[in-house]
Amino acid sequence: MSDKKAYAVLGLFETPDALMHAIPKLRAAKLGTVEAYTPYPIHGIDDALGLRRSPLGGMVLVMGVLGALTAFGFQYWISAIDYPIITGGKSAASWEAFIPIMFEVTVLFATFTAGLGMLLLLNRLPFFGHPVLSAKAMKGITRDRYALALEAESEAFDSAAAAQALEAAGAVDIEVLPAPDRSPFLTSDYILRTLGGIFVACLVAGLGIYSLIKWFPLLAPMKYMQDQPRLNAQKASNFFKDGHGMQPPVPGTVARGYLPTATGTQDASATLVNPLPRTKEVFAQGRKVYTNRCEVCHGALANGAGSLTAAYGAKPANLQAQQFRDYPDGKIYWAIVNGKNAMPAHAAYLTEPQRWAVVHYVRALQRAQNATDEDLKVVAP
Amino acid sequence: MSQQKPTPPILLGAVALGAAGVLGTYFAAGPERFWANWVLWFVLMFTLGLGSLFIVALEHLVSARWSVPIRRIPERLATLLLPAIPVGLIALGAVPVLYPGARPEAAHHPILAGKAFWLSLPFFSIRTVAAFVLCVLALAVLVGGSLKQDVSRDPAFNFRARKFAPAFMAIFALVITMVAFDWISGLTPEWYSDIFGVYIFAGAFLSGLAATALALLYLQGEGRLEGVRQDHLYNLGAFLFAFTVFWSYIGFAQYMLMWYANMPDEVIYYKVRLTGAWRAITFALAALHFILPFFALVTRDAKRDPRRLRRVALLMLGAHVLDIYWLIFPALGGSPRFSWPELSFALFFLGGILLWVRGAMQKGEDMPVGDPFLREGLEFRL
Amino acid sequence: MRTDASVHAVPIPEGLLEPALTVGKVTPGSLDDQVLAFPETKPPKQWYLALAVTLTALGIGLACIGYTFTTGIGAWGNSSPVFWAFDIINFVFWVGIGHAGTLISAILFLFRKRWRNAIARFAEAMTIFAVMCAVIFPLIHVGRPWLAYWLFPYPNERALWTNFRSPLLWDVFAVNTYFSVSLMFWYLGLIPDIASMRDRTTSKLRKTIYTVLALGWRGAASHWQHYEKAYLLLAGLATGLVLSVHSVVSFDFATSVVPGWHMTIFPPYFVAGAIFAGFSMVVIVLVVVRETMQLKNLITMRHLDVMNKVILAMSCIMGYSYMMEGFTAWYSMNEYLHHGFMNIITGTYGWAGWITISCNIFIPQLLWFKKCRSSYFWMILVAIGVTIGMWFERFVIIVISLHQDYLPSAWRIYKPTMVDFGILLGTFGLFFTLVLIFARVLPVIATTEVKAILPDAQPSHGGSHE
Repeated sequence: MSDKKAYAVLGLFETPDALMHAIPKLRAAKLGTVEAYTPYPIHGIDDALGLRRSPLGGMVLVMGVLGALTAFGFQYWISAIDYPIITGGKSAASWEAFIPIMFEVTVLFATFTAGLGMLLLLNRLPFFGHPVLSAKAMKGITRDRYALALEAESEAFDSAAAAQALEAAGAVDIEVLPAPDRSPFLTSDYILRTLGGIFVACLVAGLGIYSLIKWFPLLAPMKYMQDQPRLNAQKASNFFKDGHGMQPPVPGTVARGYLPTATGTQDASATLVNPLPRTKEVFAQGRKVYTNRCEVCHGALANGAGSLTAAYGAKPANLQAQQFRDYPDGKIYWAIVNGKNAMPAHAAYLTEPQRWAVVHYVRALQRAQNATDEDLKVVAP
Repeated sequence: MSQQKPTPPILLGAVALGAAGVLGTYFAAGPERFWANWVLWFVLMFTLGLGSLFIVALEHLVSARWSVPIRRIPERLATLLLPAIPVGLIALGAVPVLYPGARPEAAHHPILAGKAFWLSLPFFSIRTVAAFVLCVLALAVLVGGSLKQDVSRDPAFNFRARKFAPAFMAIFALVITMVAFDWISGLTPEWYSDIFGVYIFAGAFLSGLAATALALLYLQGEGRLEGVRQDHLYNLGAFLFAFTVFWSYIGFAQYMLMWYANMPDEVIYYKVRLTGAWRAITFALAALHFILPFFALVTRDAKRDPRRLRRVALLMLGAHVLDIYWLIFPALGGSPRFSWPELSFALFFLGGILLWVRGAMQKGEDMPVGDPFLREGLEFRL
Repeated sequence: MRTDASVHAVPIPEGLLEPALTVGKVTPGSLDDQVLAFPETKPPKQWYLALAVTLTALGIGLACIGYTFTTGIGAWGNSSPVFWAFDIINFVFWVGIGHAGTLISAILFLFRKRWRNAIARFAEAMTIFAVMCAVIFPLIHVGRPWLAYWLFPYPNERALWTNFRSPLLWDVFAVNTYFSVSLMFWYLGLIPDIASMRDRTTSKLRKTIYTVLALGWRGAASHWQHYEKAYLLLAGLATGLVLSVHSVVSFDFATSVVPGWHMTIFPPYFVAGAIFAGFSMVVIVLVVVRETMQLKNLITMRHLDVMNKVILAMSCIMGYSYMMEGFTAWYSMNEYLHHGFMNIITGTYGWAGWITISCNIFIPQLLWFKKCRSSYFWMILVAIGVTIGMWFERFVIIVISLHQDYLPSAWRIYKPTMVDFGILLGTFGLFFTLVLIFARVLPVIATTEVKAILPDAQPSHGGSHE
């Protein structure tokens, strides 16, 4: 034999039966680890070689459960906590909808554990420089021969004795495999470390991006809706004859949810009746609208002395005047809708109930300024 | 053939006590309660018999060899279909009481009027009797023929069974759909789900498998069934495991689709079962019928451990009872009922089923000794 | 009690004996010489001819996809209310074709049906190719395929998450999982075969490629042990997966309230239909492979016979489903369901409904006859019929249900455009191109798995009895 250290001694067998018969003999010889190399799995060889049971099942079960929990937790956290949006009338935390993806991710985790765990972790593949691969017998092993190897366990490995033992057990084509003289490249360890690194990098990047976006929303989230070719408000367009991008609604257009009260002429609308009840809420609403829309001109007391009057020299109506106190509700309503003299129409700003609420409020102001003794009586609560 | 041991008096006592309770139920707890229980046990007996017969037919259909040595057990269990027939004929008395479609009001009901003739007692009875006739026919061919083969050793039976198996599958599909639509969802005839037959099939097959496993382990404990190995047990366990998952898949698919679409005529079914005490039963069903057996059987060792298999098989049978209870009893309205009437019925019918199965276990040899594939089945290794 | 003698007394009659899995003398060595030599020989002229045809089809498809990209989805016939049409029909069709591969390789493996070993490799490859064809459709249907990565829930600059309550997102997960698991399953199975090819090739280039692909596989018993365990686990998981994938696809329809879509039977019915269509495709391809690659001794008439029986069984299950669909349409007394079902058999598209029913239910009944199961003409006729029928079944489900929904004013007749047909043709081109390349480059039969079930491949029982 050469002076190079031997890795193993390999012998070939013609049939699986011969292989199986040789195994107990070689194991009894205790010359080194007995390993078999076969073109396909042989039944019962694990027990014959005394191999420990594969731990893969347990690994897959654990990873499968982990996958299920990960998927469910992730979906729950996103849908119910981080980004709770109601769709389809389902509650944000509806677990039923999370089951399909939970199942898929469970299978994904489990299969990758089974496949990659078998290759990388348990079988330590890829392993390109293994001594057996360069054996002359390899051609037969992946074809139709069955090999047994006695692999060195320590420095004291006696390759000659091993070869003898193999021969005695019925092996042919015995060869001594020298230990490899260079370390293998692209080993399973290297791949595992790389995969682990990629996984950690993804995790860190994901968490980083998530927190960054949460605290500094720097980027416009989505611009496709913004950049699409469309007519923006107030912009010109030569598509329409009048050159405006914005077009008035077709005459007679009615907004959804509003059926305007037919006002017609001022006299025609005099007969309109205020549909709103005189409740506290209505008066509060009327007061709010009056303060926002009317008070600058007509004044807080509806006496025509608003804060704008002096600045512009306009003369708003003094609503406390007898003429207006005699107005029917409908006429005031008409003025709000259509405007009067210098007063602009308020139809665009006030909804139907708001207008009528203002009418009620103006009536209250008029009555407050012209109170009778009757009005001063306190109504027992 | 092993000698018959005397019937334990406790079994006879239980049946007698149960019978008294059953009669008492009719008069003390009212006919509705009585009929609901009666239908429950009829469906359980019938699905167990059908499920067992399905196992037998499946073996012939796919030419399975491993199950030949244990085939006699589902064959004997399938004879439960015979006592199920008188029970079923009596159960027809429940139709005018419990089944809204068979009551005269149905003719004026907006939904039921159109299918009142289908749900009416005469047509209902015709379908049930037809199903019984088909079952007896299948029983005669598959089980009767197999028992005769013990003596005749004539392989002609194997040819006949293989020819008949596809026809049985068609019969089985019709009968199990009939059980599902008439006897179970007929209690709420406005509700419909086209998967319901498959759901009942999954439960029936599971109960057949579980009963087979239990009987197998019992016979093994008595020293019969020599030659049946862990490998056979493993396969039985794997089937139990697979069909536990299948049942859950069908059950969840039906629930999820109805929950998602939220159509009033469908969700009412689950609305009833997800309010009040029924909610707890629904969750218990999910736990007992899926989660517990799933994790109990998921590992390779668990599937061939006789002790664990026995426990899981018992659990599966219990879960099947709960499943059918959960399907039938909400029709009585109100919260779940469980008291002396239910216990009496359980005593009476369980005792009766056990008595029948004890007797059936003496029928023929313990293994189909006339089957040419018995040897191959005994040599089966994983 | 029974004695062993009585057990052994009954001989197995001639008619019940199962034919051998291989014909003639097959040894591990001859198997390698027959199957693994293919990649090293020059393809015949017919192969180039076939490749030219499939590449042309693929080219047409690519052109149509290019046209769609530059023009927009308007190039297709889809229009309100038929928003889903050819794209989703083809998607479901191709995913379905893929299911047969997983069924053969995983489910039959669990049932220890050893006849699967000879055809599993091809079926698995077809799974992968079919899924590749399938994913094209949702991708181009999203309108902006370059943004398809938005479908994945990852922390992004848009600060948005995906909607996990949408069945369409479930599809993303299901199809991606399905593809990666199928690929892994296939590759794991290939490793020992590639190792065999590595050790027998004389070409340096091939040797390098096979060396890398085989990952240094050396057939150690300790490796086989983990390998077999992994294969078993993968088979179990893939079985669950194959059920779930087409169920999830069916959820796309069944979770809605569209009459004709919202049916509880959809999940198992879709799975059965997928296996049905997939097996037919496998039969078509296997017959061609068996004839042109001289594999008659490995892919025997028994294989085809069993495959045809499975097709027949699936046809019966489909028949049950159709029957239940019709029965429920009546039993529910729901006028929408009723209208939807009547549309299938009498509506404008009634012809499509009848093609579906005839091709899926009536024609496969021919397979009851042994003569039809063992004649190329009849089995190919049935298989092509089923392929057409299953495509039309998805047409029926999608187009018929959508074209008349709850809003009669929106009803419209759908008409596909030439672009629609072009893309469908293109996927057939892609599928068969990949099949042709696969057949020349990799071992079409899992030699390792077949070696393990050859006679005398395993040690005789006497030695290892406990």
